Amino acid sequence: MMQHDAMTFRNVSAGYKQRKVLDNVSFSVREGEFVSLIGPNGCGKSTLLKTAAALLKPLSGKVELFGQDVQHIKPATRASLLGVVPQKIESPMAFTVDQIVMNGRISSMGRWGTPSSIDHDLVERSMIYTDVLDLRERFFTELSGGEQQRVALAMVLAQDPKIIMLDESISHLDINHRQEVLQILMNLNREKQMTILLVSHDLTLSAGISDRFLLMEAGTLVKAGTPVEVLEPEVLSRVYNCDLHVQQDPYTGYLQVTGAIDSLRRRQKLNRSVHVIAGGGSGIELYRRLLIEGYEVTSGVLNRLDSDAEAARALNIPVVLEQPFSPVGSDAIAQALKMVGDADAVILSQVPFGSGNLVNLTLAEAALNRGKPVFLADGIATRDYTEGKAALAFSTRLMQSGANAWHSMSELMTHLQQHQER
Amino acid sequence: MAMKRIKHSAVCADNSFTTQSQSSAAWRMLLFFAALMVLLALSMLLGPSGIGIPDLESPSGSAILSLRFSRLLMGMMTGAALSASGVVFQALLRNPLAEPYVLGVSGGAGLGATLTILAGTGVVASFSLPVVAFLSAVVTLMLVYGIASQGSTGQPSVYSLILSGVIVSSICSSIIMFLVSTASVEGMHNVIWWMLGSLQPVSAGQQLLSAALLFGALAGIWLLSPRLNALALGREMAHYQGLHADLVIVIGLLFATLLAAIAVSLSGMIGFVGLIVPHVMRAIFGPDHRKLVPLAALGGGVFLVVCDAVARTLLAPVEIPVGVVTALAGGPFFLIILQRRMKQAWIA
Repeated sequence: MMQHDAMTFRNVSAGYKQRKVLDNVSFSVREGEFVSLIGPNGCGKSTLLKTAAALLKPLSGKVELFGQDVQHIKPATRASLLGVVPQKIESPMAFTVDQIVMNGRISSMGRWGTPSSIDHDLVERSMIYTDVLDLRERFFTELSGGEQQRVALAMVLAQDPKIIMLDESISHLDINHRQEVLQILMNLNREKQMTILLVSHDLTLSAGISDRFLLMEAGTLVKAGTPVEVLEPEVLSRVYNCDLHVQQDPYTGYLQVTGAIDSLRRRQKLNRSVHVIAGGGSGIELYRRLLIEGYEVTSGVLNRLDSDAEAARALNIPVVLEQPFSPVGSDAIAQALKMVGDADAVILSQVPFGSGNLVNLTLAEAALNRGKPVFLADGIATRDYTEGKAALAFSTRLMQSGANAWHSMSELMTHLQQHQER
Repeated sequence: MAMKRIKHSAVCADNSFTTQSQSSAAWRMLLFFAALMVLLALSMLLGPSGIGIPDLESPSGSAILSLRFSRLLMGMMTGAALSASGVVFQALLRNPLAEPYVLGVSGGAGLGATLTILAGTGVVASFSLPVVAFLSAVVTLMLVYGIASQGSTGQPSVYSLILSGVIVSSICSSIIMFLVSTASVEGMHNVIWWMLGSLQPVSAGQQLLSAALLFGALAGIWLLSPRLNALALGREMAHYQGLHADLVIVIGLLFATLLAAIAVSLSGMIGFVGLIVPHVMRAIFGPDHRKLVPLAALGGGVFLVVCDAVARTLLAPVEIPVGVVTALAGGPFFLIILQRRMKQAWIA
């Protein structure tokens, strides 16, 4: 069923007077596909869209829509094949939503510009589809960005095109509006087999909904394929010129593209290191915050597969690990003690204590003995699952030997700073 | 949610576009036409010879009435031409400041007309006036467009268009000044009177020619008007929607230039009408060009007729240049309307 190529670029070079923007681009989009066009700013995505819509004439090569050279298709016919939703529509005059959407029918109306009942039908249907019927008498200019974008989509839908191209039309929208517009696009694609080419900056979002990705760099098509094929960290990092990570969500299988975690170290390095005693997910936020503040962070002893251990691995934090679900052994403690020796302070997160990890508290004790500041998260009593409340007793002893208690993250950061200044 | 769905399908089924605001728009239209009729009638009653219908029995009385009528026709034609021209320029350039004067079109037409007045004699001059005015206006527009297009994309930005328009316009008026200062006394007198703007009836032949051109240009623009709506969203969007956008822009600019040239050749340099009447009409009736073009033409005509009636009556027997009245009377009116209804006219 989806044999036809909806849009084909054959060795297309295009650009402006002195500047060639697209260089020998070839690809094709099959009918009914949902394709995301990605690439850094200025790589030629918009130029590609303009060339596809015959707004720019290729310098060489040709663009075909359903097998016909787009330069030779009559404008009115072209509009019935291909609709373009621009980044933003600006209406200098106070047109109502009705009037704006009716523009989508402009090339199909007769010479006198009087809409037929078919025109009215299509306009209403597309307004219903994009849920803007209630806005029909409002002025377009007084709508919110999301509403305006839905109206723009309705206008393009009123053309009744087979392909819709969106030029970063959703990038500047709030997440809820973006979701709305994407949902509409998905429905169009699934229910009406509409072919969609979406210029996108949100790689993660696009990966979730696209059949295929086209990756552009400096006017050339670098890669085309399924999201998994195109979203390779090495390629993306080179094209976008920054460290990017691609992770697959273990539950949904969605791909997630994120900036490298090293970029989290925003502040200047403080040349101070902190050892964190954590576990069970209590350390994740602490690690992140400490890295942002500029501390060197070490952690342990943690059990393998513990979520804190996973976080530490992702954040490149040196960590001492013990086997999964095993009590912390003496080798691990010895290694961790070395880390404590190198650290300037020790922080205890809101980790629950059981017999297996109670020994971690000796790390804090060792730090106190060497005159290093120790910060204990308060409320240990509520997290103490050891027999005879051993952890509570231990921590009370630590407090008596000079350890500090902390309650909130900001309080902890202030404490750390004060100690550093001393 | 369920209620909403039902409402949608009902609307979809009977396809009705009738709404509250449409019926109030109809009333507004009716009121507008009534006001036009009253104003036109009033202007027939005003004149330097006194207020009221002159004695039709006497030859001077009927002469006065026929003079008033021909001034009414002159005013209708000039005002309609200026106002419709302004509508088109504002739509195509998507700018509220655009009008024949700002783009240098009137200046160019004025220069051509000045040359004709100074050179010509008699019948030939009066026939060639609109043609020469149009040709020189087109040349000016091409010059302005050419200067403004010197970008990387080859498409003139609105700002560069208006900037070069203002510059070319002032060059044209300096040349007119130079020509006037070197002209004979009689030529100087003719040109200056013409430049001040006046609805003194021109020859019947020129009136007929101008009327024919005017109706042609207005009809052309009215045919373009649905496309002007689409072009209000910009050239690119209009292209995506299947218009020959560049062709529509060129044709529109030519018609608008022709209208401006007709106005200039009929009554000289009358400012303001092409700027304010479109704005006022848009504020009252909304920006849909299918309605706006005819309404603005009518409104512009009647506005100029009324201003002329005031101009010739107020300090009778001295006649104030009608351009003075359009600015003095129209300006405050314009400001009031815009302040109250700007939202519906133009989003600044």
